[in-house]
Amino acid sequence: MAKQLQPAHNRKGILGALALVAVAVGLYWSLVVAPPDAYQGEVQRIMYLHLPSILIAYLSYFLVFIGSGLYLWKREKRDDILAHAAAEIGVLFTALTIIEGSIWGRPTWGVWWTWDARLTLTAILLLIYVGYLMLRSLIEDENRAATAAAVLGIIGFLDIPLIHMSVYWWRTLHQPPSILRPDKLPWENVHPSMLTALTISFVGFLLLYFYLLSLRYRIGEMRQEIQALRLKRGA
Amino acid sequence: MTLLGQAYLLLWKDVLLELRRRDSLLTMFFFGTLLLFVFHFSFDLAPERVPEMAPALLWLAFLFTGTLGLAQLFQAERENNCFDALLLSPLDRGALFLAKTGFNLILMVLVEIVVIPLFWILFNLRSWNLLPQVFLVTLLGTIGFCVLGTLMSAITLRARARELLLPLVLFPLMIPVILATIRCMEEVLRTGQFGDALPWLRLLLGFDVIFLTAGVLIFDRVIES
Amino acid sequence: MRAWGFVAAAYGIVWGVILLYLYSLKRRYNQAAAKLNELRSDGGQR
Repeated sequence: MAKQLQPAHNRKGILGALALVAVAVGLYWSLVVAPPDAYQGEVQRIMYLHLPSILIAYLSYFLVFIGSGLYLWKREKRDDILAHAAAEIGVLFTALTIIEGSIWGRPTWGVWWTWDARLTLTAILLLIYVGYLMLRSLIEDENRAATAAAVLGIIGFLDIPLIHMSVYWWRTLHQPPSILRPDKLPWENVHPSMLTALTISFVGFLLLYFYLLSLRYRIGEMRQEIQALRLKRGA
Repeated sequence: MTLLGQAYLLLWKDVLLELRRRDSLLTMFFFGTLLLFVFHFSFDLAPERVPEMAPALLWLAFLFTGTLGLAQLFQAERENNCFDALLLSPLDRGALFLAKTGFNLILMVLVEIVVIPLFWILFNLRSWNLLPQVFLVTLLGTIGFCVLGTLMSAITLRARARELLLPLVLFPLMIPVILATIRCMEEVLRTGQFGDALPWLRLLLGFDVIFLTAGVLIFDRVIES
Repeated sequence: MRAWGFVAAAYGIVWGVILLYLYSLKRRYNQAAAKLNELRSDGGQR
């Protein structure tokens, strides 16, 4: 039985190792090689975390959408497991994005929070998918929970462009006439090593994401099998 | 029988049930009015500021009132095990979705028809001539609410803490509708016409169409047992 | 120099949380694997 797990286990191990390397190189580039920004100073380095984080979150929610759609269509448990795993990790990275954005905002805008379009959108995203996770945990029956979550996974994702539009319009139409224009990233004179740092960081995050996803997915699979075995035993 | 035909039948059944006892309608109506009173005490608005705040207050009142209605939406089916009967019949599940959405819409519109003029009276607004535009915006927003609300109501049927969970999952999804209706109404009350608010109106329309379609298509998979 | 404080906070929190999550995943993974092995080997005996 253990032998069966080996190939998958090895693949995960390699993925994990690759992720570790990419992350380490990314960290080095972000913190040491890339120069500080002309306007934001050292604080701009937080962007090497912030941008990959939010992109990974969106990727994750896209996977939730795909998994949800496939599950409603084919009713295959593995799609549901994927959706659940992706939602959990998506929430993690969304929360991190908000924290990073907030920490970046304090020295840049002087405040820990502002209702600018980006932060607001990220917060809404968090609310939707935390709701997804709560929905799953509050429904007893496995199949009903999976169906309910799948519906939310689809509807939530379809809503995202609409939420984007409405929040951006809201914020740009009501822009207060002050120095605080936080919608724009003041990226002037982008030094090439900054782009490199960003790219390597993103690759690192991406590999890390798939590593975490593969672990979480496997956990879901195992739980599924455990349940099935228990049922067979009549436990 | 066509999808709409089926939906109409199911809708008519709910309307008849409601006509007999009027539970949901009356509760929603009184709750909406109660909220207006509470808002009046909470906000203590100067008369000049009321037109600014009116759209937001109105919409909050309708959101909470509507949520009440949603909690009741599938009550009759749950109590009498009608779901099994519905599932066994050759009905298109999409028709059930349209019927339930339509029913909640009717309830909310009836409440709004009374509460909006009431609001104008209680808060001493003068712009009675603008009521048609206000109603239009409210209607479009209510459609969006009912569409998503019915979906969320259906999927949370068997959840624990259902009364808390339903708003929790519904409200974030409603944000485009909330923003669009309030901005539209603000513009109308400010200038008397839609003008700058036309994009918001289009957004509302798009929202309604997208999720009505999605709802009809998905509902098939939602009610399984 | 204050700036590096924010950078440190951001990087520290992010990687700290990710490591915690990774730890949580590993734990759940091992628990599930153990349970699974237990159930599978039980089956052989029954």
